[in-house]
Parts: sequence; structure tokens; C-alpha cells
Amino acid sequence: MAYIARKFMLLLFTLFVAATINFIMPRLVPGDPIGAMMAKYQGKLTPDAADALRIAYGLDKHGSALQEYFVYLDKIVHGDFGRSISQFPAPVSEVIAGAAPWTLGLVGITTVLAFLIGSALGLYSAWKRGTRLADALPPIGLFLSSMPYFWFALLLVYVFALWHSIFPLGGALDNFIGDSWTPKWWASLLHHAALPALTIVITAAGGWLVTMRNNAMSVLSEDYLAFGRAKGLSEGLILNRYVLRNALLPSLTGFGIAVGFVVGGAIVVEYVFSYPGLGYYLFTAVTALDYPLMQALFLMISAAVLLANFVVDALYAVLDPRVRDGVNA
Amino acid sequence: MSTPTLPQTATRPVSRPLSGLMGLFRRSPRTATGIGILLFMVLMAVFAPLLSDYSPTAGAFGRLEAPSAEHLLGTTALGQDIFTQLLYGARLTLLIGFATGLIATAIGTTLGVSAAYFGGRVDELISGLTNVFLVLPGLPLLIVASALLRGAGEGAIIIVISLTGWAWGARVLRSQALSLRRRDYIDAALASGETPGRMIFREMLPNLAGIIAANFFGTAIYGVLSEATLSFLGIGDVSVVTWGTMLYWAQANQALLAGAWWWVAMPGLGIALLGTSFALLNFGIDEISNPKAAAAGRLRAVKRERVVAAAATGPALPINPQALLSIRNLSAGYQTPQGPVRAVRDVSLDVMPGEFLGLAGESGCGKSTLAFAATRLLAEPGEVFSGQSVLSGRDLLKLSEAELRQVRWKEYSLVFQASMNVLNPVIRVREQLYEAMRAHGVTDKAALAARARELFELVGIRESYLDVFPHQLSGGMKQRVVIAIALALEPKLVVLDEPTTALDVVVQRQILEEIQAVRKRLGIGIVMITHDLSLLVEMSDRIAIMYAGEIVEEASSQALSGAPLHPYTRRLMNAFPPLDGPRERRDGIPGRPPSLAVDLPGCPFAERCDSVIPGLCSSHKPVLSEIAPGHRVACFLHSPQQWPSHPEPTLQTSSSAKEAAHALASD
Repeated sequence: MAYIARKFMLLLFTLFVAATINFIMPRLVPGDPIGAMMAKYQGKLTPDAADALRIAYGLDKHGSALQEYFVYLDKIVHGDFGRSISQFPAPVSEVIAGAAPWTLGLVGITTVLAFLIGSALGLYSAWKRGTRLADALPPIGLFLSSMPYFWFALLLVYVFALWHSIFPLGGALDNFIGDSWTPKWWASLLHHAALPALTIVITAAGGWLVTMRNNAMSVLSEDYLAFGRAKGLSEGLILNRYVLRNALLPSLTGFGIAVGFVVGGAIVVEYVFSYPGLGYYLFTAVTALDYPLMQALFLMISAAVLLANFVVDALYAVLDPRVRDGVNA
Repeated sequence: MSTPTLPQTATRPVSRPLSGLMGLFRRSPRTATGIGILLFMVLMAVFAPLLSDYSPTAGAFGRLEAPSAEHLLGTTALGQDIFTQLLYGARLTLLIGFATGLIATAIGTTLGVSAAYFGGRVDELISGLTNVFLVLPGLPLLIVASALLRGAGEGAIIIVISLTGWAWGARVLRSQALSLRRRDYIDAALASGETPGRMIFREMLPNLAGIIAANFFGTAIYGVLSEATLSFLGIGDVSVVTWGTMLYWAQANQALLAGAWWWVAMPGLGIALLGTSFALLNFGIDEISNPKAAAAGRLRAVKRERVVAAAATGPALPINPQALLSIRNLSAGYQTPQGPVRAVRDVSLDVMPGEFLGLAGESGCGKSTLAFAATRLLAEPGEVFSGQSVLSGRDLLKLSEAELRQVRWKEYSLVFQASMNVLNPVIRVREQLYEAMRAHGVTDKAALAARARELFELVGIRESYLDVFPHQLSGGMKQRVVIAIALALEPKLVVLDEPTTALDVVVQRQILEEIQAVRKRLGIGIVMITHDLSLLVEMSDRIAIMYAGEIVEEASSQALSGAPLHPYTRRLMNAFPPLDGPRERRDGIPGRPPSLAVDLPGCPFAERCDSVIPGLCSSHKPVLSEIAPGHRVACFLHSPQQWPSHPEPTLQTSSSAKEAAHALASD
């Protein structure tokens, strides 16, 4: 399991790099970020908030940059991200804890769903190539994956929320919905999640479709496929054991990279639908110059993406014997 | 590759050179569409002032006017003309796409190629950095970075987008450059004292051009989409006009609530189409630089023109009822965009039960295509044009898919040319052996296991190797596994397509000896395809020589080696040393075989033949005819009865004829 260990080390290291970028970036900005914030809030920044800021940046202790860095790392490890400015006096960790389940639920489920639907369509498109529907799918997929997420979200809002009031304009739940986990609550949840989910699934599935079709097409020209056919194997077996299993592998490699992109797009979708997840708060933090919240959110989103990557890498090792043995496929 | 490769001539347009965009459109509709969209947008951007009299920023008109003749796409809440904004917005949007594409590709290429070129520590460092940047989520990083860079302008945004988007290119280029690095000509250049700079720029980069270009378009999409997202969120400079900032203003003014959908629809459509065009170009380039993936799909679109069997078809021979396999008047080939290529031309051939038949000829003469066509394994764009292939009384070419599946492997099996890639990489060897047997009704576990052990013993591999994956086997072992799979159901016919070409001589020997032993024991018929004639002479009962898609000579092994009749066979015999003979200088055959895309009126070998009969060979086609019992040859030298009575050709093998032949051959 040297492969898994190596991937885990990469996960830790990348997380460390993300934290370091987080530490360095505000310090590279010309001028003092806190000065900028004070100017923006023009006296509305309470002394408490100003203190929170100083603590957040380690400006209360006047050590060297290196000392500050270690203090910062120590705090992160202990889950201490300071207090939010825009949601003052809520600690950043509390804001994130409230937002994370929404994002995990919406983005997590839709990303996997988009991968499955897109890959299935891509496989169909390659397998049935030459038929009208199969050949029409890749250009459609290219177009869908080239759409800005938020733009497609706006179109859906216009058609299904403004023009026909089938779905709500935004939010995650109806007001005064009462207790959680009741059937009424679930209905409201799904009702609100429908449009954001549709946006992510449709735009992300386009990309998977094209990727899977290309992979499957190159598998279809492989010698082992011709050999499988020559053996007299049934088409179902060929499709499943030969085409699907081999074409899925490169798709998975791309999955890690694409997850970052999908999550990025999903963040903006949350903004369009005022869906109270991490992306929505990242946007509020950016507009409100809420640096502590912004940085913590970036770190959290990175951690989630990295974890997804790690899971995919592990899955890859299960599916591809060559990777397990450290042979380059 | 075991699937027969297209003859060289197929990829070179011979008769109809394609030119311009129309030609490109025929070859790659995707690329052409991509170029078309991109060109349209560039023209929009460049000629914006000519296409609209208005200013993109001045709010000179009524607010939120619907599309009309005056304002094609309506106006904004600030009274600006949306059509004009769209034209001018194309400028900065395209610029940002191109600039981020260029910068990110430059960074990616530099790092990727350096990592591959220098290797060692440099490679480790760069690869580590690449892996980190590959998995860091780009957009959140961008949002945070841009928020910090607030007000720094579009230049800074371009830099930041590029800095988050280079990693994928670096990774792809590194692995491509690495495989280049391992090639011989790079070593040769190094040995001749080339400097690293010259090496990278003169030798490596030109070979990576396709991937670099594809990467450029890939990162350009990323750039355009990222800019649009940042602008839409109001991060960055929203006072400039891009398609992204148009969407920002539309959202900020609640365009949708006001019913002004056109304000939102058009800029987003522009971005999506631009992205589509970049993606089409990206894939188009990929298609050109990686024809393997494309071949299966693209060529299918070629209009099917059924090739009528050429006029020079030989006499229709009856099926030989005694033969195990009886191929009759088989024509097969490939559909290419330049027209059909006839790689197998009116071939008739018999294989008797238990017989070892050798099929020899230069590469590209149609041997493999013949084997694949006769066994009905020719894949797109390959196609059987006409003929019969009768195995044990059934024409394989007429069977339904289901019937074919039954017959395959049980009646005949195939060992492919490049057995390196014929085993499914993700399935254990045992399973791949079982699969073949299960597909034909052997389902009992114990029977499967017993047969597997038996087969592995037969081909000389230890039983423990049943449970490994293909990548854990050496080349020779893979070949043995494939042969074991081929023998699994004791078929009556096994076709071996260059089964040992990729192996070293010792392993080659062992495997061939095992094949011979198994054949004698089980009494199976074998067709072995190779360009190594001396090997065939030693092993086969009978040999057929193929040239340019036709069988030119067919005889028993002794007769052929003792007294080859066709001038081509004689040259071929001379080109290979006997396996155990003394090493001596061998002559190649001057000249190249004729293109299989054209139909020749005469003997296909006439151009290279040193016994050519002027006025006859290049205008009349000799028919394969029996000269001695079991010895057939297609050559006018040996069948004067085929000569046309008028005009009387002059038979001369004098020096003048030889000179003429050599002059032709050296072209």
C-alpha cells in the first residue's frame, strides 16, 4: 500500500501548501489589510472586531514573520480560525460548521451524480457511435461544459422561478418550516435544491460525457478489445469488462482535477441561489472583506477537494492493478 | 498493433488533394467548426467600431428597451446598447482568453519540458509542485487572491488566472516529453554535442507542438470562464466591458426580475460558444496528433462507396469441400477519406485439415488484412468488399453476429500480431482464459481450473502465473498466455499473425517449437503470417506469397524453397538468411510496392521486377495458374499460354530490360 501512503502524504503536503498560501497572500498585498477594512467599515468596526482581526493575523504579538507563521499553523491545527467580521461575534469555525452540510449535500451529491450520468452518456455515445443520437451527444456535451455555471443558473431561475413559479428563487428552506427531518422539511429542502442541483448536474455532466466518450473511443481501438471479440465474448461482457472498466480509469484520473473546477463552479451557483453553503459565505466574506472567514473557507474548500481526490486515488488503486504495483499505466 | 495498420498510401492523399477550410471540414468537422466560431468572434471584436455606431459605455438610450431594429439586442438598465457592448466585450474577453492561454501554456511547457529534460531532483521538485497545484481548487484560490488584489486591474487578473491554470499542461507535457526523451534520436542528438537549449527548442518542442497547442486552447477556456466568474462576482475591474462584466451589471440591476432576459442571455451565450470553439479546437488537435482514438469514429462518417470487384477478377473457383478453410475471391480493404484502399485483391486460398500454411510477404502487402477479413475480425474502417470464407462448410462472412460468436474460438482462434496489448490490463490472466471457455459453454469450476492448468503446462508456464495481471508478465510469457488461450477450446484452425516478431530469437524458437508440438498432437490446422520466409520454409507444409494484396505464388515448402518461380519470391528468398545458415550479405528489394489505393492494369510487381517483359507485364495481369502439381504462380514468365496473341510482346531478359527495371526501381 505504498501507493496509498504516497497519496496521503501528497494530501497532507498540499493542505500544508494551501495553509501557507493562505498565510502569505494577505502579506503580499500592498498596504495593510486591516487598514483597508477599517476604511471600509468607517468606524463601524467595533474595538472587539478590530481585536479579533489583530488576533486573526497574529498582529497582536509582534514576533518575526516566522514566529507568526508557526502560531498561525498551530491555531489551524487546533481549529481556531478567529472570529468572523461580517458575522461578528460568531467564531469562524461556527459559521463554517453551519454552512458545510449544505455544500456537502448539494455539491457532493450533484458532483457524483454528474459524473455517473455524464460517463454513462459518454459510454453510450462511443458504444453506439454512428447512430444519430450517439453522434449528437459530444457536441452538446462540449457546449454544456463550456457554459459558465452561473449563467446557466440564471437561465434556470428565469424560466422556472420567475417566468413559471415552479421552484423558489433561492434559499435552502422555506421560512418557519418548523422541525428538521420531518416530511415537510424534506419536501422544502428538495424543492429548494432542485434548481441548483440541476445547474451543477447538467453543466458538469457535459464535461464527463466528452471525457468518457474519448476514453471509450481509444479503448475501442485497443487490441485487447478485438481479442475479446475474437474469443466470442458477448457484447454485454465486452462493454462491461473491457470498455467500461478500462475507459473509466483515465476518467477517474481527471476526476480529481475536475472536482476542484466543479466545486469552484458550484460556489458561484450557491451565490446565484443564495444557498447558504460555503460558496455563498465565501462570496459574502469577499465582499465584506472578512479576511478570517475568507481564509478559513478557502482552507476548508481545499481540504474537501483534497479529500475527494484522495478517495478517488484510493478507488483507482482498487480498479487498476497496475497502479497498485506502482507500474505506470 | 495487431489490427492491420492502414497502408502508408492511405493517409497520403494521392489523387484528390484536399485544400482549404472545406478540406479541413471533411477531415475534421469539429476543428473546422471551432475555427469558424473563433473567426467569427475575432471579426466581431476587430470590426466592432464598423458594426456599431454607438459607444459601449455611454448610456444614451432608453432604459431596458426590448430588442428592436434600433437596438438589436435591446438596452441595459443604464441605457447602453447591448449589441454594441457585446461587440466591444468580445475584445477584452478574447484578449483575456488568449493571454491566459499563452501564459499558462508557457509556464506549463517550460516546467513540464524542464522536468522531463533534466530529470532527477529538478523533476522531483517540479512534479511535486505540479501535483500540488493540480489539486488545489483553482477558483476559490482565484476568488481569494483577486479579492486581495482588489482594484489591481485586468492585467493582474490575467496573471493570477494563469498561475492557477498551468499545472495540467505541465503534467501532460512532462509525460510526453519523457517519452520523447527515451527515443533514440534524442540520444543521437545528445551524442553529437547539441546544447540543452538547442535540444529542447530544435528537437523536443517541434514534436510536442500538437500537445502544446491543445493545451493552449484548454487553458484559454479556463481563462475565459474564470474571468467571467470573477467579473460576475464583482471581483476585479467591473468598469471595463467584457462578457463577464456585462453579466455582473445585468445581475446587479436585477435584469431578470425586470424581464430583460436578453441582457443575461447574450453575453453568456457568447462565453459558452467561445468555450465550445476552444474545446473543439483542443479536441481537433488531439484528433490529429492522436489518430488512434479518432480513427474508430471519424472514418465511419465517410460515405460508403461499395467497391465493385475489379474487372480483372480471376475465375470464380468452386469451394474445396476437403479443405478446412476455403477462401474464395476475397477482396477487402479500408474506407479512407481519400477513397477505398483495396488491401486484399481477389484472393483464393485453401487450408487443409491439420496443415501448416505459411503466408509471407513484405509489411503492408495485405497479409494481416487477409487473415482478419477471412476470420471476420476486420474492424472499422476495414471492410470486406466481396468473396467467401468457408470454414468447415460455413461461410463465415454470411453468419449472423450470434452464430459468429458461437463459431469464434471454438472452431478457430487467432493469435494477434502484438500480443503485448491483447490482454485486458485490468483482469487477471486466469479470468481471461476462463472467459473464452465460459463463452462457449464450459462453466464447471473444476473443469475450468483443470483445463487452465493443462494449458499452461502445454505452453510451458508455471501454474502460479494464472493469478497474475498481464503487466506482471514478460513479453514472451504474454505470448504464451495468448497461445494458451488460443488453444483453450482445441479449435480446428489457429491463425498466428506474426506471433513472435517482438520476441528475442531464443524465446521465439521455444514458442514455435511448442506450437509445432501441439499442432502435431491435436491435428489442428495453422495459418502463420510472417515476413520471415526462412522461418516458414522450416516450419510450414505449404507457403503462399503475397504481394500488393494478391497471392503471387503458392507451393509446398520444399518446392518453394528449392525452386521459387515468381521473381518476387526469388528476391524475397534472397532477402532473408536461413535461420542456421552462415551470415552473409543479403540484398533488399529495390523500390516500393505500389499504392493499394489504385487499381493496376498489369502485374503489381512489374515496376520492381528485373525480368519484366516490356509491353506485357505492366499492362496485362497474369492470373495465378498451376504450373506443377500444387505449385501455382501468377507470372507471365511461367505461363506463356496467358500471353495475349496481339500485339506480340518480345521476351527479353537482356541488359536493356534490366536497366529499365532498375531505373524504375531507383525512383
